[in-house]
Amino acid sequence: MPTVFRQNLMKALQEACFIILLAVAAGLAVNLTRTDSIPFVQDWSAESRLSEDDGNSLAISLPEAEALFRENKAVFLDARDKALFDEGHIQGAKSLPWYEVDDYFQQVVPGMDRETPVITYCDGESCNLSHELTLFLKNMGFAEVRVLVNGWTVWTENNLPIETSDK
Amino acid sequence: MNSSSRFFYHSARLVLGAVFIYASLDKQCNPWAFSQAVYNYQVLPDALINLTALILPWLELILGFCLILERWMMGASSLVAILMTIFMGLIIFNLARGLDINCGCFSTNPEEGPMDKLTLARDGLFLCLALGLAALTLYKKNIYNKNQIV
Repeated sequence: MPTVFRQNLMKALQEACFIILLAVAAGLAVNLTRTDSIPFVQDWSAESRLSEDDGNSLAISLPEAEALFRENKAVFLDARDKALFDEGHIQGAKSLPWYEVDDYFQQVVPGMDRETPVITYCDGESCNLSHELTLFLKNMGFAEVRVLVNGWTVWTENNLPIETSDK
Repeated sequence: MNSSSRFFYHSARLVLGAVFIYASLDKQCNPWAFSQAVYNYQVLPDALINLTALILPWLELILGFCLILERWMMGASSLVAILMTIFMGLIIFNLARGLDINCGCFSTNPEEGPMDKLTLARDGLFLCLALGLAALTLYKKNIYNKNQIV
């Protein structure tokens, strides 16, 4: 039996290699022929991901965001889960969790002026929730929506005002 | 192979085959959206994200057809078990570190809810099926003798 198992294992390895080669060839070849192909290798840095087609960046720097916060000229939207928002968020921010955007949209958005600058944030360099929320809001007609990359972390690291939902 | 093993073997390969084919379809149609889902897992270097997004759906599709058509079963069932183990590991890893991302398992729609314990339970079931199928395929001496399993 061990010999049979070893033989089967070798056969499995050969077949697996063949299947993988087939998938690699098909995946790469089909991508070359389709109209919506993607590059084989791409820059996934935050700057690159947040660049719009016209080259403008959706990202806002911390000093710019802080200035708008101090002058009370922007609405901050927290794209993280509501529980994380309740534990702590940028002072005055509203919760609009990306994964429950349909539920929270009616509570948050109707009172907002679409010309007022909006700053979205989540947590982590590669967190995509605020980016998705930004694209969604721009699509809904908001004129100026920007992403504060790694927002919660950079905000708290710089000891800027925060609050919890209990206060 | 006794009748219950035979029943499990055929059920598992048909169920997993259908699941893998279904899982590959939306990813095939939306390579850009799937590359975003792969990126969101935050486990691969940048250079491998798009390649994974391009190749994985085809691997799932080919494996699905292999299982349903009972072709290259040893390789296919082993690969399915390995892939399901990796998927489970990734889900556990990301749930443990509290990453709020969608699974990207069957849909590339970013508005789909984040993965949760239900995703884990579902994939756990598929993993059990995949491991059982691979074990049956690799251990049984005459699994390829159709006269004995059909």
